[in-house]
Amino acid sequence: MKPKERVMRRLKRQEVDMTPVGCTTAYGALCLMKASGYERPLADHDPVAMAGLALAGYTIGGFDWIKAMGWDITAVSEALGCELGKAAIDVQHFIATHPFESRSLDELECPPDLLSRGRFPVYKEQFRILKEKVGDEVAIFGMSEGPFTCAANLMGTSKMMRSTIKDPAGVEKALAVTTEALIQVINFAFSQGADYYCMADPTSGSTLLSPRSWDRFVKPVMTKIVERSNGPIVLHICGETDKIIPSMCDTGLAGISIEEKADLKLALEVAHAKGVAVFGNVAAATTLFMGSPEECYKESQAALECDVDFLAPGCGLAPASPLENILAMRKARDDKFKAPEFKGATL
Amino acid sequence: MPLAEILKTMHDAVVGFDDEGARKAAEQLIAEGFDPFTGIMEGLAGGMNTVGELFKKQEYFVPEVLLCAEAMNAGLAVLSPHLKAGEARSEGTVIIGTVQGDIHDIGKNLVKMMLEVGGFKVHDLGVDVPHEKFVEEAVRVKADIVGVSSMMTTTMMGMKKLIPMLKEANPKVAVMIGGAPVTPAIVKMFKADGFAASAADVVVEAKRLVAAAN
Repeated sequence: MKPKERVMRRLKRQEVDMTPVGCTTAYGALCLMKASGYERPLADHDPVAMAGLALAGYTIGGFDWIKAMGWDITAVSEALGCELGKAAIDVQHFIATHPFESRSLDELECPPDLLSRGRFPVYKEQFRILKEKVGDEVAIFGMSEGPFTCAANLMGTSKMMRSTIKDPAGVEKALAVTTEALIQVINFAFSQGADYYCMADPTSGSTLLSPRSWDRFVKPVMTKIVERSNGPIVLHICGETDKIIPSMCDTGLAGISIEEKADLKLALEVAHAKGVAVFGNVAAATTLFMGSPEECYKESQAALECDVDFLAPGCGLAPASPLENILAMRKARDDKFKAPEFKGATL
Repeated sequence: MPLAEILKTMHDAVVGFDDEGARKAAEQLIAEGFDPFTGIMEGLAGGMNTVGELFKKQEYFVPEVLLCAEAMNAGLAVLSPHLKAGEARSEGTVIIGTVQGDIHDIGKNLVKMMLEVGGFKVHDLGVDVPHEKFVEEAVRVKADIVGVSSMMTTTMMGMKKLIPMLKEANPKVAVMIGGAPVTPAIVKMFKADGFAASAADVVVEAKRLVAAAN
């Protein structure tokens, strides 16, 4: 089965030859940069470097699918007004200013030229390069921050958190704008050739926000985004998620991506009952980053034993994650399904 | 109104994130001639300790805790000016900050609140704090504890470099680290002295570190 077929069928919960292995979060790893010759921060803004590093996930990292749209989750926030912190080879772009911490939310709106702003023109070109290189062989996913995280970036996380109790109308106003922006961005990605789209919404996770607030604020907008999107949507939330997984699944999305703190068995039970696929959950901040290849292999095996739909890191790959650790996921998958050893892939 | 009742009102106002209620109860305590120090420790701090437990049990989340802290501060603004000089005892002096390159601060701010409520004097250096600044300030204020926070694996690695720098400047200082990627294994690997998985546990750990140093 071609990797693309495997991924797209699995996303529809259809039969496949083996569990897809890859990454549905950012994989701006130094080892992939060195091996491919495409480094960040050039790969954050240059379409050729961005595409080159993305392809390295498939050719070097052993992934069954690749990522478009860069190496952080700040692009929508940037287009809506946040300034970014300086990136380095091993430092992702981060949000440096929160324009609506002091400004009135009445001034927040989705600009009519959203897709001409920030990095979207670059993304358009790198989609073109990726489609040309991988054609129908390898699935491509687009990604950005989700609506709640985007709104929190604009307002400042502390203000956003307090507003969920003190100014719910303000939260709803901010979410209405980020939702509108995301629908545009997501459908832009699908129109440029993305096969699925992943939103990362860590600020809405239960490490910060109550499940009740998730249901009140995030579920309705997530449901709207899913309804209006022209393709399958995956939602990644790291940290604590056990109590919100049912609600995540009820938004109608195709997949959820969770980390090692989540109960994978429980997540699979809940998600599968609602027709949703699960990505995860090899520990990115610990095992893949600082553990041994054997430990990465064991965690991958454990996730495969649970019958995870997509074997993947539980969060973005830490830049210094060693290649042997990343490849241990592929090895665990290949050993389980008796597939030939991965020795690199060609385009 | 008897003191116990005022203290309960103050405690409940903090837990119920009722700024006005906390302020009024604090004013009443002063008006009745009771000791503001008792009001702070048993009313306000008592309330925040309950909040910490609710946070740990996942009944309260970050929004609630932030608002409870606001209510506590509303009460504190009334009581603090009435404290007798030298009355505010200190469990120890703490420097806290988010490590260089990292701008996440909610967790750090919650820890700071709990430490203050727990009787520690806390100097908050903010976010993206250069290693040299941590060292300089720790020496300047004669910190018993330095608390370092990071939310990302990349910035967390900075702690590995910072901790020996702090120890060289003052071998007796205790270093506490925390944040999403920090685990007990990391604490051991980086040779930090203390760790608390939740802001609610930080005061007990901080007191342990101070006692161990003395």
